[in-house]
Amino acid sequence: MARIETIFNVGFISETLVGLFKLLAEMFIIVIPLMIFMEVLKNLNILEKVSGWFTWLVKPFSLPIQAIFPLLVGLVFGIAYGGSLIIDAAKEGTLTKRDLYLINLFLVINHSVIEDTLLFVAIGAKGFVLIIFRFITSFLITWLVAKYLLTPKRLESS
Amino acid sequence: MVTLVTIKKGFTKGLHTFWVLSKVIIPVYIMVTILSKTPVLGFVADLTKPIMNLVGLPGEAATAIVIGNLLNIYAAIGAMGAMDLNTKEITTIALMILISHSLFVETAISKKTGVNVTSLVLLRIFGSIIAGMALNWGWPE
Repeated sequence: MARIETIFNVGFISETLVGLFKLLAEMFIIVIPLMIFMEVLKNLNILEKVSGWFTWLVKPFSLPIQAIFPLLVGLVFGIAYGGSLIIDAAKEGTLTKRDLYLINLFLVINHSVIEDTLLFVAIGAKGFVLIIFRFITSFLITWLVAKYLLTPKRLESS
Repeated sequence: MVTLVTIKKGFTKGLHTFWVLSKVIIPVYIMVTILSKTPVLGFVADLTKPIMNLVGLPGEAATAIVIGNLLNIYAAIGAMGAMDLNTKEITTIALMILISHSLFVETAISKKTGVNVTSLVLLRIFGSIIAGMALNWGWPE
């Protein structure tokens, strides 16, 4: 009982609330403009054109062109933002279960490349090494899984 | 053509997405903060120490890596600040944490996209260990 009282004190509540608020505020500020921006790009047919420049990124995994933008957003901004685009695509039905899984796999290993890497460079890590190894790992693992997940039958059992 | 309708559609989508993300992140965030006040982290760190040998890291690095996995990157960096590490060790820990971190929060987000998340977690942990081993082996001395 003493343990529970130690955890749930005023300090804990304020710490959690402040942390939560900062996180949600950051998400709000990025998600809203991002979705508006995406809608505008879609409307102007720019999305398809720009995505066309990055087909080399998704070809190794046999992913469709619609997978490119969520991947890019996740790579630059982070998993919450790439994830929200994936959730959106899942709702609209533009990506198959296989596509969704592979994009998720690539992103969870490799996202927020600029910000997260810089955080560690700031404390003394070699940024170049981090980026290269992280990309190799995500490419390798996603590619290996893509080879085995090619058959739809495999998906139904997972 | 971009009209007010386009902006409104994007805004509505944004609100909906934000709401979906919040429903997922808020409970998990609270749970993780509670977790950080318990002895669980230290316990898991002790279990992880044997892996440190494989990746060429000192035993104490296990704490930072476990914190990165169960909490978040910032907490892990905080933990690393209290340790005496050389560039190779800092880079290796950084690489492993970058590949596998914030497992609770990020897995909850992935789950919302409708995929099987258990394999994602396992592949991340596996990937981070392999990457750490590769870096340990390939680091030019």
